[in-house]
Amino acid sequence: MSRTSKERVLLYVFVGLFALMSLISPNKFLSPGNLQSMATQLPELGLISLGMMVVILTGGIDLSITYTAALSGIVGALVLSAGYTGGAGEAAAGLLIMKALLAILVTAGLCGSLNGFLVSYVGVSPILVTLGTMTLFEGISLWLTKGGAVSGFPEEFQWIGNGYVGFVPVPILIFAVFAVITAILLERTPWGRSVYMFGCNPVATYFSGINTKKTVMWVYLYAALLAAAAAIIMISRYNSAKVDYGSSYLLQSVAIVVLGGTDIAGGYGKVVGTVIAVGIIQVLSSGLNLIGINRFIVDVTMGALLIGVLLLNYFIGKGSLGKGVKKDAQKANTAL
Amino acid sequence: MKRILTVLVSALLMVSLLAGCGSGGSGGQSQQQGNEQGAGQADGKYRIVVMPKLVGIPYFNASEEGAKRAGHDLGVEVIYTGPTKADAAEQVKMIEDLINQGVDAIAVAPNDPAALTPVLKKAKEKGILVVDWDTPADQSVVDLSIHQIDDKEFGEHIWDLLVESMGTDEAEYAIITGGLSAANLNTWINYGLEYAKTRYPNLKLVTDKIPSDEKQQVAYQRALDLIKAYPNLKGIIGISTPAPIGAAQAVQEKGLQDKISVVGTALPNDSKAYLMDGSLDVATLWDPAKLGYLTVALIKDMLDGKKPTDGQEVPNVGKITVKPDGKTVIMGPPTDFTKDNVDQFNF
Repeated sequence: MSRTSKERVLLYVFVGLFALMSLISPNKFLSPGNLQSMATQLPELGLISLGMMVVILTGGIDLSITYTAALSGIVGALVLSAGYTGGAGEAAAGLLIMKALLAILVTAGLCGSLNGFLVSYVGVSPILVTLGTMTLFEGISLWLTKGGAVSGFPEEFQWIGNGYVGFVPVPILIFAVFAVITAILLERTPWGRSVYMFGCNPVATYFSGINTKKTVMWVYLYAALLAAAAAIIMISRYNSAKVDYGSSYLLQSVAIVVLGGTDIAGGYGKVVGTVIAVGIIQVLSSGLNLIGINRFIVDVTMGALLIGVLLLNYFIGKGSLGKGVKKDAQKANTAL
Repeated sequence: MKRILTVLVSALLMVSLLAGCGSGGSGGQSQQQGNEQGAGQADGKYRIVVMPKLVGIPYFNASEEGAKRAGHDLGVEVIYTGPTKADAAEQVKMIEDLINQGVDAIAVAPNDPAALTPVLKKAKEKGILVVDWDTPADQSVVDLSIHQIDDKEFGEHIWDLLVESMGTDEAEYAIITGGLSAANLNTWINYGLEYAKTRYPNLKLVTDKIPSDEKQQVAYQRALDLIKAYPNLKGIIGISTPAPIGAAQAVQEKGLQDKISVVGTALPNDSKAYLMDGSLDVATLWDPAKLGYLTVALIKDMLDGKKPTDGQEVPNVGKITVKPDGKTVIMGPPTDFTKDNVDQFNF
């Protein structure tokens, strides 16, 4: 990170906000209970945002991501509740949970493949494809559940969303693992490099001998995988699955990705930025809630923050345009 | 230079945020906050959370008024807060935050009962009194369950209103409902139909209940179809709040105010215009302000160690009914809105 990189600025904002909230209500905000519940709340939105980021890096968008999560969660919930008889042994419950997790991953994989196939091989624009699949997945979910909630899971399953390892909530551990994996995949593998390249210039990438179709296909598949991870946490946390769980995450995740410094046109964006951005939103939401601020003001503040950071990035970008053309060129070289 | 600019703008951002918090607080809550922070729970005031399905709609604004008034009357601190969208996931998060804030009781109108069970359990483990109001939560986790209405009494009341408005029980009528799978609507209709079978045997239902997708426009269309298909139709019952309004709109358009009676469950603000010209005869529902008041009043009693009793007289609310399980409370008879009293309500 250079001194004035977007991610560094975000980190300042995050630390500042954290300090501010701690100052305003020290014994509540810094209480272990609150820190734990923030760490439990953050991963759902965080995982979906990471998935959204990978797609946006290619210059696309995945509008179906929350319904991919909803649909795969519902399929998993159906497997769980169908096989759960109440008094089954621990081993049986374990097996059932494995089956459900597999069902969730397979469903999400199918959803992601459909998106990837239509975008890369058929060549329809991502916003149209995912708008269609969004409605499709919502429809299937509604059809499967008739609009109601699917519940009745084994006790053991709740551990994923509500359990602790020591004093650390399980969801945040899952999020950390996926964040590291995503960072490694994007920044340390040939696939990751081709994702960034495709976002900068698809045609040039194609002519430099990269199988762009395959690259994009995997992007949507990976995004769906992250959505599946979010779905697992969600259905475990709420002990049920329903069509509209997490439906409010769709636009929030786009906002977070942009807040995290990712270029909405593709080609630039870092996992670290997205992770910090999720943290900012969480600190703001929990903090304002704790001190009892009207919920509408919370929404207003979030909007103001997003616009503020965008402006900030714009000014920084403008500054570096004058002075740092050389540096940018260098950066571009290293990125390639 | 660049760096200075960055730091400067960051600082500006922080300040503006701070200002945002400040002004948010001064909008009525900062005083409470001051108290909270200074005295905490030491001042002995109970802190009661009342969470609606969502904030910012007239129905829940009215219940907020009632809850706040009860807090004022009874000397307890009422925190009325909820998500801006009817989203169960948001409610779970807010309840988690509120548990950390340290409150004495949480009353919630769940958007989805199953989703709230784990978090309500957690609240209970922390020694917080858990209550549901407006919509039942998982009954195994709540200490008190406050219902607005007795389903049977409400269903029967609607049919009584219909016969009263038509002036005769020898007539043809139809039912327009919100949706065929809505559990509460179906309960009311079934109780009403059963009651009509014995009480008004000459009342003739022309066709099965007709769904209107909770939309006024659809209810209006269905009512027009009904009027055309059954020329002898004398009454329409609308169940779910947009349904009677849609039906009344159709009656108004056809100028059949005197021939067809429309009754049903509607909000007074929506029904005002139709009540005035007689296209809607009477609307019936409960008063959400009273419901909010009752919720806070009963929680205060519970925190004081007093359980609600059947027939208990609650000031400003009236007599309540308590079911044999000792924790299901029913507020009382429905409130009717007619052209004479509709102006007294604002929701």
